[in-house]
Amino acid sequence: MKFTTFDGLKDWLDGLAQRYDLIAPRNVDGHVLYRPVASSDEILFDYERPELSAKDYFLPATEVLLRVEKRGRELTEDQILPDRGQVMFGIRPCDAHGLAAIDALFLEQDPPDWYYSHHRQRTALVGLSCPQMWKGCFCTSMGGAPDDPTHLDVLLTKVEGGYAAEPITEKGQALLKGLTLKERKGEIPSPVADVEHVPVTPPQGWRPLFENDEMWMRHGERCLSCRICTYMCPTCRCFDVTDRVVAERAGVTRIERIRVWDACTSTNYRRAAGGHNPRATKASRIRNRFFCKFCYYPEDFGPLGCVGCGRCIISCPVDIDITEVMRDVARAR
Amino acid sequence: MPINESLTQQLRDQARQLLESKQVDCVIGYEASPRGSARPAFIYDPAGADRLIWSTACIHNLVTYLHDKKKPRRRGEEPPRVAVVVKPCDSRAVNVLLAEQQIERERIFVIGVACEGTQDEMGELLSRCTRCGDRVPIVYDVLLGEPPEVTPVEDEYADLTHIEEMPPSERLAFWLREFDRCIRCYACRQVCPSCYCTTCMFERDDGLWVDIGIELPQKHIFHLGRALHLAGRCVECDECERVCPMELPLSLLNRRLVREMEALYDHRAGREEILTPLLFELGEEGSPL
Repeated sequence: MKFTTFDGLKDWLDGLAQRYDLIAPRNVDGHVLYRPVASSDEILFDYERPELSAKDYFLPATEVLLRVEKRGRELTEDQILPDRGQVMFGIRPCDAHGLAAIDALFLEQDPPDWYYSHHRQRTALVGLSCPQMWKGCFCTSMGGAPDDPTHLDVLLTKVEGGYAAEPITEKGQALLKGLTLKERKGEIPSPVADVEHVPVTPPQGWRPLFENDEMWMRHGERCLSCRICTYMCPTCRCFDVTDRVVAERAGVTRIERIRVWDACTSTNYRRAAGGHNPRATKASRIRNRFFCKFCYYPEDFGPLGCVGCGRCIISCPVDIDITEVMRDVARAR
Repeated sequence: MPINESLTQQLRDQARQLLESKQVDCVIGYEASPRGSARPAFIYDPAGADRLIWSTACIHNLVTYLHDKKKPRRRGEEPPRVAVVVKPCDSRAVNVLLAEQQIERERIFVIGVACEGTQDEMGELLSRCTRCGDRVPIVYDVLLGEPPEVTPVEDEYADLTHIEEMPPSERLAFWLREFDRCIRCYACRQVCPSCYCTTCMFERDDGLWVDIGIELPQKHIFHLGRALHLAGRCVECDECERVCPMELPLSLLNRRLVREMEALYDHRAGREEILTPLLFELGEEGSPL
């Protein structure tokens, strides 16, 4: 294996922080979150699963798409995107897997999403494998693993005395040039992945359950219609767009067009002009959430809309559990 | 979380009897969650009554679900008659909803449970329960369980004092730091029995005050606005704080106003079936405002 000491890794990260926007797991008032860091001292190296997914740095919770300035009768438009490279250090394999799922819609469809592709292109993903599966995790059922290198540029694994580093892509290879690596004997340790397998029913198996009202009432009736599950989810990608006036004075008006996360679990998500809401019940919204992940999205774009990170399970205030739904669906077929 | 066998049995019997006699169409209570705690359960037939449980993990305020039962399940039908299991804190929400004419007393059956306090996953009493001196619900049609002894609360506002002693700039910085973590998931609003506007003023398409952005200014105004809208209406069940995925100390905001309302009007939401004085005293002569 290629090996670096902890100090060597920190020096490398400090160098990256000078040249790029460095995002890494940080302790934010007791919460582990991916956040921008200025130095390696701010980074958490031993952590479970950051509480929010990595999508905020590719599909930001709020992103300005367009700035318009109106002076008298004259209009000027401006689209500003950061031109610095971005390095996401310590991203967990499930979060990289989540980005791959979003790619199928935002990168691989024609036309690709201009903003999302920009963030994807400017970013290198330096993953840190999970030494074990955490509470709620079921990535191994969703085609992933705690040490899955597939969607990363570099995979690091904690080993005795430091870290093993594996370049996965050319981008990763180039990034690793600045890190002093020594050849070391021995195998990279495998993580403990002892979580019971959750059955994944293929899309056509879900279709007949659409009209199983009893099932969707049972899972959905206690839903609060909040947005925790969708905002934490590494694959949920729904957004809303609005224009807002940010300044208005002396004949100059500045307007921003923003794109903001939206959630299919919220009451008014599906409300149409005139006020009709075809998904007015909690059961129908919960059904849609799970159908989107396991039926519509894979049918339309390929990948499943779930990577098994388990965030929605441990954060739901009323214990709506995606694995319980998956088992129920597998049984009901 | 060990299940309280005796209360569980009483709850099941009560629910079964209510459903069998068709006195109610639905019982809202708690069931065991496959992951070991408790979660809200909706029972429609007598055979399902055996799903119900009681334990110290029954932390949810189920009164919030009564809003879902205001409309009939099918067009042309009557709205369902509902029984709801309440703890003392939850029962105060029943009084608020009655006063605000959101529910009809004769259409709901309140199953009160004598409460020894609820616990988190680590077996620690929830902070809201350490402050609470109520062991028996204020409103109920039947009371289950023996009221345990009350541990007197020394200073229920002790945690507020620390915030209030900060100079204003420091206090603002404290709150902005907290609001910054908010992800605007609206869980606090959704779980709140007193938050039931059809369209929240912070979610209007034509909102003049706050746009849909998930940024600090919007989050700041949302939390302060929500707290003010709950003045005299917050029953201190602290469900907003419990469900917050980012652990914002929302109870501090709400209880600041609870204390204010008590000082100004001798009003504490849900203790009696009356509206918040702010709804009808605002601007009247002699009003403290």
